[in-house]
Amino acid sequence: MIKHLLNVNHVNKYFGGNVAISDVCFSVEEKQIFGLIGPNGAGKTTMFNCLTGYYPVSSGDIVFDGKKINNRRPDEVCRLGMARTWQRVKPLGSLSVLDNVMVGAFAVTRSLHTAEKMAREQIHVVGLDDYAAQLAGSLPIGLKKKLELARVLATKPKMLLLDEICGGLNHTETWAILDIIRSIRNSGTTIVFIEHDMKAVTSICDRIVVLNAGEKLAEGTPAEITSNRDVIEAYLGGGHHA
Amino acid sequence: MMKQAIIPALLLAVGVLIPLLIGENPYITGILITVLMMATLASAWNILGGYAGQYSFGHAAYFGAGAYTTMIILSVSDTNPLVAMAAGVVVAGLIALVTGAIVFRLRGHYFGLASIAVAEIVRLVVLNLEFTGGAQGILLTDVKFYGLDLNSKNPFYYGMLIALVLTLGITALVRRSRTGYYLQAIREDQDAAASLGINLAYHKNKALLISASLTSVVGSLYAVYIRFIDTHAVLDLRLSIEIILTAIIGGVGTLWGPLFGAMLLVPLAEILRSNVLGEALVTHGMVPESSPVGMFLKEHLAHAHVLVYGIITVLCILYLPKGILGLFRRSGK
Amino acid sequence: MLFLQSLISGLLTGGVYALAGIGMSLVFGVMNVSNFAHGDLMMLGMYMAYFVFTLLHIDPYISLVLVMPAAFVFGYGLEKMFINRVIHHPHQNQILLTIGLGLIMSNTALLAFTSDPRILTTSYSSSSFNILRDVSVSVPLLLSFMITCVITATLYLFLGKSRTGMALRATSQNREAAQLMGINVSRMSAIAFGIGTALAATAGALIAPTYYIHPLAGHSFLLKSFTICVLGGLGSVVGATVGGLIIGVIEAMSSTYISTDWKDVVVFVLFLAVLLFRPQGLFGKKGGQ
Repeated sequence: MIKHLLNVNHVNKYFGGNVAISDVCFSVEEKQIFGLIGPNGAGKTTMFNCLTGYYPVSSGDIVFDGKKINNRRPDEVCRLGMARTWQRVKPLGSLSVLDNVMVGAFAVTRSLHTAEKMAREQIHVVGLDDYAAQLAGSLPIGLKKKLELARVLATKPKMLLLDEICGGLNHTETWAILDIIRSIRNSGTTIVFIEHDMKAVTSICDRIVVLNAGEKLAEGTPAEITSNRDVIEAYLGGGHHA
Repeated sequence: MMKQAIIPALLLAVGVLIPLLIGENPYITGILITVLMMATLASAWNILGGYAGQYSFGHAAYFGAGAYTTMIILSVSDTNPLVAMAAGVVVAGLIALVTGAIVFRLRGHYFGLASIAVAEIVRLVVLNLEFTGGAQGILLTDVKFYGLDLNSKNPFYYGMLIALVLTLGITALVRRSRTGYYLQAIREDQDAAASLGINLAYHKNKALLISASLTSVVGSLYAVYIRFIDTHAVLDLRLSIEIILTAIIGGVGTLWGPLFGAMLLVPLAEILRSNVLGEALVTHGMVPESSPVGMFLKEHLAHAHVLVYGIITVLCILYLPKGILGLFRRSGK
Repeated sequence: MLFLQSLISGLLTGGVYALAGIGMSLVFGVMNVSNFAHGDLMMLGMYMAYFVFTLLHIDPYISLVLVMPAAFVFGYGLEKMFINRVIHHPHQNQILLTIGLGLIMSNTALLAFTSDPRILTTSYSSSSFNILRDVSVSVPLLLSFMITCVITATLYLFLGKSRTGMALRATSQNREAAQLMGINVSRMSAIAFGIGTALAATAGALIAPTYYIHPLAGHSFLLKSFTICVLGGLGSVVGATVGGLIIGVIEAMSSTYISTDWKDVVVFVLFLAVLLFRPQGLFGKKGGQ
C-alpha cells in the first residue's frame, strides 16, 4: 500500500478579502519528488507558508505523517519532520557556514560534538567543505542556496519543501543542485518542490500540481502536465515563460 | 582549550590581587567596584541584547527589583543577605516573565518600546507606594554577613568580582551550547530560526530570564554596598542606557566586550564627574581661572558627563557600531 | 460635573499630545525610525517659546510663526547630518542614535539653562471661564487646542492634496516602490523629520504656558508620544490624532478618579495592553507582520 506523507484537504487562505488559496487538495506520497508550479502570484509560496506554520490556514486540513498540523508553530512543524528552504535565502549572516548548519543539526541533538559531526556530513553532501569556516553572509548566491540545503538537511527531515532552490542559479549550478536533490530522495526523504524553471521541474518530478490564481489547475505526471492545454494557456496567457 | 584559559586566569588573578596591591584606598576601590558592576550589568544585558539580538532598554527594572527587594527585606528583618538576594532574583524573574509574555510575540520596534514601558511602570509603582519608601528611598543602617567588615569596601569588591566571573562564566557556557547557537540564530533571522525548529518565544524568554536574574543579583549587591537606594539611583532610564552603552562601546555579542566597555567608560565618567579635567586645565594655566571659560569649566564640567555619554553614543553608532572589540575581530578573522 | 470637567480638560490637553504624537507617527511612517529624541525636541520648543516671550516679548502662541520654521530647519538638518546615516541600520541602532541625540540636547540645555525650572507667565496663564456652573475651561488650554486643530487640519490638507504630501504618503506606504516611481525618498525623510520636529516643538511651545519648563521635561512626553503612536497604530497620522485625545482623556480621568501620582502608570499599562491585545493599534489594519 502507498503511504501518503502529506495530505492537503480543501485548504483555503484569505488575506482580508483577498483569496490567496482556494480549495486546494493534493497528496504527496512517501519518497516522491513532488512539483508545485504555476505563474507568479499563483499561491505557491503562500501554500508553503501555510504548510510550515508561517500563516494560519483560513479553512481546510493539513495532515502530515498522520498528524493534523494546521496552525502549528513553524518550529513545531520542523520538529515533526517537515522542513523548508526560502525563496529569498536566509543565511545567518554573521555566523560561519559550519555554525549555520549546526543550528539545523541541533533540531535532533543537544550535543555540540554530535551537531558538529552531523553538520560536517551535510556540508560535504552539498560540497561546501572548503567554505565551512567562512561567514555565511559573505557567500555568493549559488553557495548560499547550497548552504540552505545543507542546513535544512541537518534537521533530518522526513519531507523537504524547497522554494525555488534553483532561482538565480546558472545552468551548471542548477543541474548540480538537481543531482543533490535526487540523491536526497534516494536516501529516503520526500521532496516538494516549487520551481519556475519548467525544464528543471519536468526532469526531476514524479508528480506535479499546477496552481493558478490560488486554485488547483491541473495535477499529473510531468508528461501529462506539459501537454495539458489549461496549463499551457495559464503560462503563456500570464505572459510568463516556463 | 588550555591556551584559551590562560588569559582569563591571568585576568582573574589580577582581579583578585588588586585590593592587596592598592591597600586601603576607598576612592580607588570604589571606582573599581563601579567598573566591575557596570561590566557585570553590561555582560548580563549582552546575553539577551548581544547574543539573542533583543535590545532591552529597561534593564534598570531588574536592577531595581534586586535592590529594592533586598533592601525591603533587610530593613524589616535580620535575614541573611544572600536569601534577600535570592528573593530579588525571584521578583526580577517574575517581572521578566510578564515582560516576555507581552512582548516576545512581537518584533521590530516593539520590544524596545515595551521594555521601557515596563521599566517605567516599575519605577512609578515603587515611587508611589508606601512600603518602598516612595521618593525618600530606603536607608539601611546596619547589615551583617558572616562577620565580614562591611564598612570596608573590599568585601563588595570581591562580591562584584564573583558576580562578574559568574556572569562571564554563564555567557561562555551559553555561547558554547545549543542555546547559544539558537540565540544567535534568532538574532540573525527569526524566520529562518523558526524554520530550523527553534521555539522563538521560549528561547527569548530563557535569555531574558538569565539576563534579568544576573542583573538583579548586581542590584542586590549594590544596595547593600551603598545602603541607600531611591528610584533615581536604581530604576532610572539613564541606568538602562548606561548599561547598553557600556556593552556597545566594548562590543555587543562578544564575551569580553562589556568588560572592556566598562573599563573605558567608568574611569571616563569619573574623570568628568570629579572635574579632574577642568581643574587640570586651570591649574596648569591653560585656561585662566577667572576667565568666563575657566569659571564655566569649574562650575559645569562635573555635570557634563551625561552629555559626553550622549556624544559617545552618537559617535559610536555612526562610526563604531560593532564596538572596539568588533574592530579587532574584523581585522583578526 | 467632575466627569465633564475631566473630559473637557482631558480633550484639550489631548489635542496637544496628539500634535506630538502625529509628529512621531509621521517620522515612523515615512522613515521607519523610532525617534527617541522626540521628547527633547518638545523641550526645545518649550525653551524657544520661553525665550521668544521673555526676550522679544512675543506671545507664546504668536511665537509659533518663529518656532515652527526654526524647528523644521533644525529637524531637517538633524536628519541630513545624523538620522539618514542609520536609516538602513537595525532598529536598535536608530533608537540608540536618537537616544544619544536626545541626551546631547537635554544635557546641553541643562548646562545652558541650569536645572531650575522656568515658568512662562502670560496675562492669561491662569485665567479660565465657566461654561456650566461647576465646569470651567482654562483659557490657555483652549487656545492651544484651537491652534492644534488648525495645524492638524493644515497638515491633513498638506498630506492629502499637495505634491510633497502625496509623495510623503507614498514613501510611507512603500519606500522602494516610491523610489521606483521617481520620488526622492531621502529628501522625503528629511522633510518628514523636519515636520516631526516642528510638530514636537509646536506642542512644546503650546504647553509652555501651563507647564514647568525644564531641561528634562521631554522625558515623560517621549513615552506619552510612543503610547499615542502605538495606540493609533505606528505610522498612522489619523490614529495618532485620535490616540492623543484618548490619552489626554485617560490621563485626566485617572488624575480625577485615581490620583495624579498614578496617571502615568495607567497610561503605560494601557500601552502594554494595546501591545498585548491589539499590536496593530486601535485603528491599524490587521495582518502585516
